[in-house]
Amino acid sequence: MEEKRKMIKVYLAGELFKVPEGSTIMMALEYAGFQLKRGVGCREGYCGACGTVYREKGDYKLQGGLACQTVVTDGMAVAQIPFVPAEKPTYDLEDLTPDVNTFTELFPSVFRCVSCNTCTKACPQDIEVMDYIQAIIRGDIAKAADISFDCIRCGLCAMRCPAEIVQYDVATLARRLTGKYLSKKSPELDKRLEEMEAGKFDEEIKKLKNMPKDKLTKEYYNREIKIS
Amino acid sequence: MYPDYMLKSIKNVEKTRAKRLQLAKKYGKQVYDPMSEEEREKILNIYHPDYKEDALRELRIGPNKGEKIINEVVDVMEAYPRNPSKTFDLSNFDYETDVLVIGAGSAGLSATLEASQKDVNTMLVTKLRLGDSNSMMAQGGIQAADQEDDSPVNHYLDVIGGGHFDNKKDLVEALVMDAPQSIKWLEELGVMFDKNEDGSMMVKSGGGTSRNRMHSTRDYTGAGICRVLRDEVQNRADKIDILEYCAATELILDDKGQIAGAVVYHLDLKEYFLIKAKSVILATGGFGRLHIRDFETTNHYGATADGLVMAYRAGANLLYMDSVQYHPTGAVFPEQIVGFLCTEKIRGLGAQPVNKDGELFVYPLEPRDIEASAFIRECEEDRGVKTPSGLKGIWLDSPLIEQLSGEGTIEKNLPAMLRQFQRFDIDIRKYPMLVFPTLHYQNGGLEINAKAETSIPGLYVAGENSGGVHGRNRLMGNSQLDIIVFGRRAGTNAANRVLDGVKLGKPTLEHVDKYAKQVEKLGIDKNIISPMILPDYIPEHIKAKQLTTNYQGTLF
Amino acid sequence: MKLPYFPGCTLKTTAKNFESSALATAKKIGMELIELDRWNCCGVVSSLTSDDLMKHLAPVRNFLRVQEMNKQEKIKDENRLVTLCAMCYNTLSLSNKRMQENPDDLDKINDFMHKEEEDYHGNVDVVHFLSILKEYGFKKLASKVINPLKDMKVASYYGCTLLRPKEISIDDTEDPKLMEDLVETLGAKVIDWDAKSRCCGSYHTVNNVDIVHRLVQGIIDDARKHGAEAIITSCPLCAFNLDTRQSEIKEKNDDFQTIPIYYFTQLMGIALGIEENELGLEFNKIDPNALLKDLKLI
Repeated sequence: MEEKRKMIKVYLAGELFKVPEGSTIMMALEYAGFQLKRGVGCREGYCGACGTVYREKGDYKLQGGLACQTVVTDGMAVAQIPFVPAEKPTYDLEDLTPDVNTFTELFPSVFRCVSCNTCTKACPQDIEVMDYIQAIIRGDIAKAADISFDCIRCGLCAMRCPAEIVQYDVATLARRLTGKYLSKKSPELDKRLEEMEAGKFDEEIKKLKNMPKDKLTKEYYNREIKIS
Repeated sequence: MYPDYMLKSIKNVEKTRAKRLQLAKKYGKQVYDPMSEEEREKILNIYHPDYKEDALRELRIGPNKGEKIINEVVDVMEAYPRNPSKTFDLSNFDYETDVLVIGAGSAGLSATLEASQKDVNTMLVTKLRLGDSNSMMAQGGIQAADQEDDSPVNHYLDVIGGGHFDNKKDLVEALVMDAPQSIKWLEELGVMFDKNEDGSMMVKSGGGTSRNRMHSTRDYTGAGICRVLRDEVQNRADKIDILEYCAATELILDDKGQIAGAVVYHLDLKEYFLIKAKSVILATGGFGRLHIRDFETTNHYGATADGLVMAYRAGANLLYMDSVQYHPTGAVFPEQIVGFLCTEKIRGLGAQPVNKDGELFVYPLEPRDIEASAFIRECEEDRGVKTPSGLKGIWLDSPLIEQLSGEGTIEKNLPAMLRQFQRFDIDIRKYPMLVFPTLHYQNGGLEINAKAETSIPGLYVAGENSGGVHGRNRLMGNSQLDIIVFGRRAGTNAANRVLDGVKLGKPTLEHVDKYAKQVEKLGIDKNIISPMILPDYIPEHIKAKQLTTNYQGTLF
Repeated sequence: MKLPYFPGCTLKTTAKNFESSALATAKKIGMELIELDRWNCCGVVSSLTSDDLMKHLAPVRNFLRVQEMNKQEKIKDENRLVTLCAMCYNTLSLSNKRMQENPDDLDKINDFMHKEEEDYHGNVDVVHFLSILKEYGFKKLASKVINPLKDMKVASYYGCTLLRPKEISIDDTEDPKLMEDLVETLGAKVIDWDAKSRCCGSYHTVNNVDIVHRLVQGIIDDARKHGAEAIITSCPLCAFNLDTRQSEIKEKNDDFQTIPIYYFTQLMGIALGIEENELGLEFNKIDPNALLKDLKLI
């Protein structure tokens, strides 16, 4: 059975609640009686739905975190960010080039970066956000894709940016351009597609599909395993 | 950090570590004898959750009437609809579209992209945000037989053997034959697959694969794919209508028994919308948040089996709803990340499962169901470690990885895992992780054919809510493939149905009323309704006073 | 000699030829310019605003990288930060000066970056590559010239940012000689002209291109009037205006006589006998090769 737990005070959207010590912000909200609709998602730190800003007691710093991953402390004041207002430019990837001009066109705000690094400090994934924005400015799209890879688009960077850049959308485009244009193509994949086009495996698959279960079982357990 | 009493148990783990390290050095992965067929059968029968006497019960209504299926699924099937048909005026639709896609994980997003490609009107509705799904959370990879020493034939055998030969053959064929082109499609959309220097794919093996076939985008494979699909759907804003925070609650049929649309419920506005559509694609995902047998889950907040309920009520049949995939290693401490998936790769790298006394008790790489059963055995026989919140688990000795393969191995190979535990002051390079099996995947679902069609004309299903592709057991890396292959097939075929000029008759929700009557005949409590929409984690003492939520299911 | 080096964004995008030629020339004379590991924009865009201290964060972060490199012993007791782009030089120098002269401001910046970076102590010295060459010694440099730019009549264009404001000028603000000394060293003929420190129109090129056309035409006419066949510059923005805008001026004014524009290290590279493909001449807009071929330099 659950042990009797110490309760601490938290301010959820300004209102005082008592919740068990050790709760995440998300657990605290639910313990208080809120059934969550916005600001909740995978509950494991992968989806970026629960971006939250908070201040801890006695600390002037406004901090950012994911509600599902951040543990409440006594006297903490919390506000969830259910949605980040930003218009995503639409584009056809086929028409774009993987260089700085694409970003000048679609995300001119990138060039307003003053290198204050507030975005990096706000990132719950510890991504060097400012560094990837700077990489874009100097045209190094692949680098920006690499640095931003673990982005879960919680939007906290964009909410804190004094230059009003929407970093996560910039990063998404950088990664897509890298995946499509800057990564070397895989020769074996293209070869396999040609083989499949020519129907190379059709007969064998048909044979397996028509095989009685006992024979198929035998085939399965006798198959050669070549893994490393 | 671990409390003192748990640190004491960790001392036991540390005591036996040197000896276990020697075992690993001497015997490689075979540090413990794998179980024989008889031993496997025995442990499954006694300890696997699916084999417990009360795991399944007979479903008493609908197309699968008389079949024994998972208890919690019966609960949502034998429940009242949220609203009787008279609530809605079907002569007055709020939206009309050609193809309606329900669910915006990777299956729904792929379907939407393919349908809109065919120049039919496409509408995407989702319960939460675009991309909110189990798809986004997958770590390991996506299978495709594109390597020289591999072929779709090998892939076929792996899939069907892994599924205990229960898979539908046409579906397996579609899965493996579409795999290489799916990878190509994703790369053309800008997915950044892990590559070697020469551009070739970096491929790994997974449980039950006979070749290295696992493609990845670091350890964020699901997100690496899903966020690209979402971005592309948003780019086609001129062709695709999107409704977020709208949960579908019923499917609408016409008087000829064809699909004719859906009823959706806006979570914030508490407003119902009627959508008329010539084809409907269900891509609503799995059932982890039903917490089968009270298990914690790796699943997304929205994984509540809504699609199964709606389609079943409308007359579609289920396949293999008697089997659940439990992943052996879900976190049980710290409490904040209970249920969190600790990837199979951790054991692949050499971490060993040990009990509270530091004893190794099972071969670390048994199939998922066997491994999970052994963990449950240790805990039921009091050789597990109890957490302060009352859960039990066994140790996964991660520090062994670095002793085997050198410092830095964990940081390089398991960055997401390291980060997750570091957030709670636990360094998995120095301390073991406490784990217990966690509810991971819905093996069965709504029966489809290779065109992703169901028995209801115009209703297509793709992804985890479909059944038959994986038989009774799915292999790692095949669900990411499943959602792309069948998502795309559903999108294309749903659009073709529209282009072929399907004519809709008079729309109706009569089936909902008929179903409700059958539920009533069973004497079910009127408060029990479904689909559930979202789980409810409000503590009992508060819930008791929230007078609108005193029944199974959720009402906002 | 190993020197920390700040490339700036323009040299990584539209002025790659400036960087490749400069790095090649530095290498040729035995200097290693080591690019900062992590660097950000010099801060030029925000330096044009009249805003508060925020704009100094960008430069100070780059100075911190120099401190870091010393600490990691990638360089040894080397506090000079080399720049190639005149605009970066200007921005970084001005900011550095402000930090060095106003400890209160420096404290505020350090406070803002609290817990994120080490404090900056104000001891970095921002230098332009031209100054490094002067220190290296033009005599010594002359001894390395194997392909003298004989008979080439070269006008040196400084623009604004190397010379103004006076406190950070790399040479005499009114009568600079540094680039002329370099031109002489390379064996070319120095053109004395009037427009060498006039403004090229700078960022008006973005939305007021007429102003740029007028100013650029004035500068080039003056160079031609004094007999120049080529202009060298050290600023990618000046080079952009002088080089790219000429064809538009020519369209409007048929009598206009175009002139090739070189980054100073491109001509230096020719004189030092560096392979042309390292000098990025293909990126120059007004044909840079015709003159070099005429003079049998390539």
